Amino acid sequence: MSREAYQVPNLGAQNAFGDGMGAGSMESPAVSYLCGECNSRVSLKRGDQIRCKECGHRVLYKERTKRMVQFEAR
Amino acid sequence: MAPLIPSQEELERRRIVGINAETVTNMSSTDFPGHWPGEDHAWDLNKFRDGFQVEFHRNDRFEAAFSLIGLDAAIANAFRRIMMAEIPTLAIEYVFVHNNTSVIQDEVLAARLGLIPLKGSVEGINWMRWFKKPTEDDPEGGSSPADYNTIVLHLSVECTKNPNAAPGEQDPRKLYHNAHVYARDIAFNAVGRQEQYFVDDEAIQPVNPDILVAKLRPDQKIEIEMHCIKGIGADHAKFSPVATASYRLMPDIKILRPILGDDAKKFAKCFPKGVIGLEKVTSQEAAQKGSGYEGHAGDIKAVVRDAFNDTVSRECLRHEEFEGKVKLGRIRDHFIFNVESTGQFESDVLFLESVKLLKLKCARWKRGLTDLMR
Amino acid sequence: MPSSVQDPDHDQSMVDAQQETAQPDYPELEEKRILVLPGATETAASFQFEGEGHTLGNALRYAIMKNPDVEFCGYTIPHPSESKMNLRIQTYDTTTAVEALEKGLDSLMDLCDVVTDKFTTARDGYNASAADQMTN
Repeated sequence: MSREAYQVPNLGAQNAFGDGMGAGSMESPAVSYLCGECNSRVSLKRGDQIRCKECGHRVLYKERTKRMVQFEAR
Repeated sequence: MAPLIPSQEELERRRIVGINAETVTNMSSTDFPGHWPGEDHAWDLNKFRDGFQVEFHRNDRFEAAFSLIGLDAAIANAFRRIMMAEIPTLAIEYVFVHNNTSVIQDEVLAARLGLIPLKGSVEGINWMRWFKKPTEDDPEGGSSPADYNTIVLHLSVECTKNPNAAPGEQDPRKLYHNAHVYARDIAFNAVGRQEQYFVDDEAIQPVNPDILVAKLRPDQKIEIEMHCIKGIGADHAKFSPVATASYRLMPDIKILRPILGDDAKKFAKCFPKGVIGLEKVTSQEAAQKGSGYEGHAGDIKAVVRDAFNDTVSRECLRHEEFEGKVKLGRIRDHFIFNVESTGQFESDVLFLESVKLLKLKCARWKRGLTDLMR
Repeated sequence: MPSSVQDPDHDQSMVDAQQETAQPDYPELEEKRILVLPGATETAASFQFEGEGHTLGNALRYAIMKNPDVEFCGYTIPHPSESKMNLRIQTYDTTTAVEALEKGLDSLMDLCDVVTDKFTTARDGYNASAADQMTN
C-alpha cells in the first residue's frame, strides 16, 4: 500500500484506549495476554489500560490457540 | 547380403564425443538401424550382454561409485531418474501441532520436520503400503491411518532454566535445558504389527540425530504429533532416497603430438593431479623417425596416466603451445555413476531397485497394451 | 496455511491394528491404460501413456528405434503440467506399430535383466576383493 493510500483513522471518535467507555465494556469477558517483557499472564477486559500488571511493560501478546492445528509437511 | 562391419577405428571414433574450446561435436548416438547404410544395429540381447560391463570404484554403505559401460544414454538416464524420483521412502507428511510457543512458525517447523531423512528396518518399509491421499474429486477416497501405512512420531520438548548453570554462563545450551531441539528428540512408538519390524536399531529414527530442528528459550514448548507415509521423489524431494544420483561420461584425452620439456610440466598443470604423468623419452622413441621425439632422448614428455579423474575443464585448450597437440573428448557409452543414499537404503541396492522398477514399469505397460488389443 | 483446525481432544490416532482388514492401497499397481490417438493406421500410430515422462519415454524410444522394422519413433511430453507422454511409432510393412511397441518393451525388460546380473556380479566381486584387502 502506498503512503498516499493510507488513511489515518479518526482517533477522536472511537478511542478504544480511553477510559470513558460505555456500559458494554463492563460485561465484556477478560482475555488473558502474555507480557512481552516478563512473560507473566495479564488478563484484560475491554477498555483496560494495555499494560503489564507486574512490570508495567506496554507490549502484550495474545496467547496461542489451545486447539490442535494440522499442517502438511511440504 | 552380409551386413557391413565398420572398422575398429571407425567404431572407436563413433564412441567419442568431441570437446573443443567452445563447441562439442558428435553428440548423438548413431547406433540405430538405417543410420549407417549396410550396417546392422538391430537390438541383439547377446551382443548387448557381451558389450556391457560394470566396474566398481567404491561401494560404501551410503555412497557408491561405479561405471556402466556399453549402454545408451537413454537407459542410463532412466536409471538415474528412477533412483531420484520413483523409489519410495518414508517421510513426515502430516504434522499435528498441539502446542508450539517457540519463535519458529508452525508451518515452517512442519516443512523442516518433513525434510528430516528417516531410516528404519528395510523389511518393515517394504512391508508398508501406500497411504492414499484424498483428492479434490474424491474427498472421501483417502485411506485411513493404520499400522501398515502410517508411522507415528512424537516431538514434545519444553525448555527450562538450568539451576546448576555456572554464574555468568553465556551459552544457552548450558544455561537452559532443551535450548536446542534436535532430530534425535523425535520419538517413535511402534503400533500393531510395526512392533515386529521396527525394533531396537531397526526402529524408525532420523538418519542424522544432530539436525537442529528449532531453538527454544525457557517456558517455550513444542508438542507435535507427526504422521509419516511412503511417497516418491516425484511428489516431493523429501521422499527421494538419494542425496545425489548422477553420472558423468568418462573423459578421454589424446595427445596427438609430443609435448616435451617445460611445456609438458605446464600441460600437466592444466589437469587435476594424477591425470597427466611426466615420463622420460626413451632412446628407442628418439630413434624412431617421424615420431616427433628425434633428438629428445632423456627429455620429459607428457603422457595420459588416468583420465578418470579429469574434470574436462578445457584449460589446456586455452594455451597456444598445445594447439593441435591434444584432443579432448568423452566416451559416449561409459557412464560413471555416483549414488549417495540418504541413509534408508544402501546405495548399490538403490541402483538394483531402479533397474527392477524400470522392468516393472515395462511389464505393467505391456499388460496395458494387451488389454488394448482385446 | 493450516489445513484444518480441530479440537484439542480430537483423536487423530490410528485405527486399531486388529480391526484392519481393509483393501490395501496400491496406487502404483492401478490399471494402466494406453490410449491410441486418433489418426492411427496399422503401421503408424501415436500412443498416449498416462503418468509417464522422460524416464520411460526416452528409454522406450531407444529400444523401439533399435528395431530395424521401425521407420520412425519419437516421444513428446505435450505439456509439462500434464503427466502424459505421447509416443509416435511408424513402421515398415513388415510389422505393425503395436507389435513394435510390444517388442520395444520386451527388449527393455531383457536389458534390465542383463544389467541386474552384471551389476550384482561386479558388486559381489568388488566386495569380496575389498574384504580380502581388509584381512591381508
